[in-house]
Amino acid sequence: MDGRRLIARGLRWLRGDKAASQQFPEGLAPWRVVGASIAGSSHQNYGQPCQDAAGWALGPDRCLIVAVADGAGSAKLGGEGAQLAVSTAVNHLAGRRSLGSDDASKKDLIAALELARSALISEAEDRGVDVRELATTLILLQATPDSVTALQVGDGSAVIEDRQNGVIGLTKPQIGEYINETTFITAEDAMGHVETVTHQGKPSGGAVFSDGLQLLALKMPEGTPHTPFFDPLLRFVSYATDASAADEELRTFLRSPRVTSQTTDDLTLVLFALDGDQ
Amino acid sequence: MAEALRLEDAVEFAENPEPRCPCVLLLDTSGSMQGAPIEALNRGLQTFKDDLMRDPVAPKRVEVAIVTFDNDVNVVQDFITADRFEAPKLECQGMTHMAAGINTALDLVQARKDRYNQSGIPYYRPWVFMITDGRPQGEMPDFVDLAAQRIREEEATKRVVFFGVGVEGADIPILSEIVVRTPMRLRGLNFNELFVWLSRSMLAVSDSKVGEPVALQPPGWTVVD
Repeated sequence: MDGRRLIARGLRWLRGDKAASQQFPEGLAPWRVVGASIAGSSHQNYGQPCQDAAGWALGPDRCLIVAVADGAGSAKLGGEGAQLAVSTAVNHLAGRRSLGSDDASKKDLIAALELARSALISEAEDRGVDVRELATTLILLQATPDSVTALQVGDGSAVIEDRQNGVIGLTKPQIGEYINETTFITAEDAMGHVETVTHQGKPSGGAVFSDGLQLLALKMPEGTPHTPFFDPLLRFVSYATDASAADEELRTFLRSPRVTSQTTDDLTLVLFALDGDQ
Repeated sequence: MAEALRLEDAVEFAENPEPRCPCVLLLDTSGSMQGAPIEALNRGLQTFKDDLMRDPVAPKRVEVAIVTFDNDVNVVQDFITADRFEAPKLECQGMTHMAAGINTALDLVQARKDRYNQSGIPYYRPWVFMITDGRPQGEMPDFVDLAAQRIREEEATKRVVFFGVGVEGADIPILSEIVVRTPMRLRGLNFNELFVWLSRSMLAVSDSKVGEPVALQPPGWTVVD
């Protein structure tokens, strides 16, 4: 695998079909993370690259940070916008010195979103394009052994699993009446559409994914997680031993007819598990 | 009140839960379309089907309905996915009951949305694509005004995207008063190109995110002034 490392501290970076090859625990302990991002069949058909991006890293106090962004298909540079939003947000969150309260964590995620927005705005200025050309959604998640906080603008979703309650939806896709209407972080009123949620209690695992998987992973239009979809995936992650082999298996799953017969969109899925007894 | 869930819909949407991209073709079949125009239009409908079928996604996502208007308004084809759509052979007669046709098309769109909502099927903003070679005929002016007003309201509230296409002979100034978007004028009887464009545009929509406008290819089949 010819993946590249963006920053140290164990950030693995996904873009299109590339992922870094590392063995668990790959510096992420106590977390195991498996992720894949693939171009949808409709995009492959038209020769468009994958416009999703995902990244994750270990943050202060060994918290896990995950980001998933879905660049707008109608925007010329949506994929680049997604990538920039993810790297900006993850770098910021991973670089903090310590974690505060849950409220402080929410504020941190909002600050990371604002930085991602600023990065897109200056990128657009540098390139002399309208910032809408870099339009992207963004989901950020921060997990500790005590709680999980998530932030979302746009569609896709973040879910977690805990021992008592099973799989629970944290953030829900923000869609309008029409399936292709969503909110992008580049919109002027984006900060008015920010959803932040904190779940108290120890997670056993969770997932963050782009809208391509919505129809499979969520009961729509309610947006609640479809447990039979997540159960085997989360079990798979908690038993995974080789990060790159697990990423590859996940990619194979996302390309299988089971998935592709249901969706032609770009697909991004980042799964994580908290190693037991933490 | 919501209607009861129809078994047929329940089965159809369970079998094919893809998000739907509905498109009504609202077609003028008045007497003046007789001969070459209607033949070209019928061939165009076949082209529409063929072009949609070439795409891997469209056959299960794009839904086509056909409403014709002449002395009567007929729902020749209620919404059906492109893979099951068969191009009809349309015939012409009589006057141009355009306003009644507009109302039927918009009613059909609303009814379809209700069914999607009942079954939890996500959908894209519906399109109505009206093609005429004339102007409203045989209808009271007030009735026509009301239909135009309805288009304005439904466009303003983003319930529908309503296109008007004028074939040669169409009264473009009148058409401009009825549809909100600038009417397009068909060059000659270039229905094939028109339907290829429409098919490609539906694909762009069915693979899109809005919030930002969908970039449509400029139509190559229109008259350029």
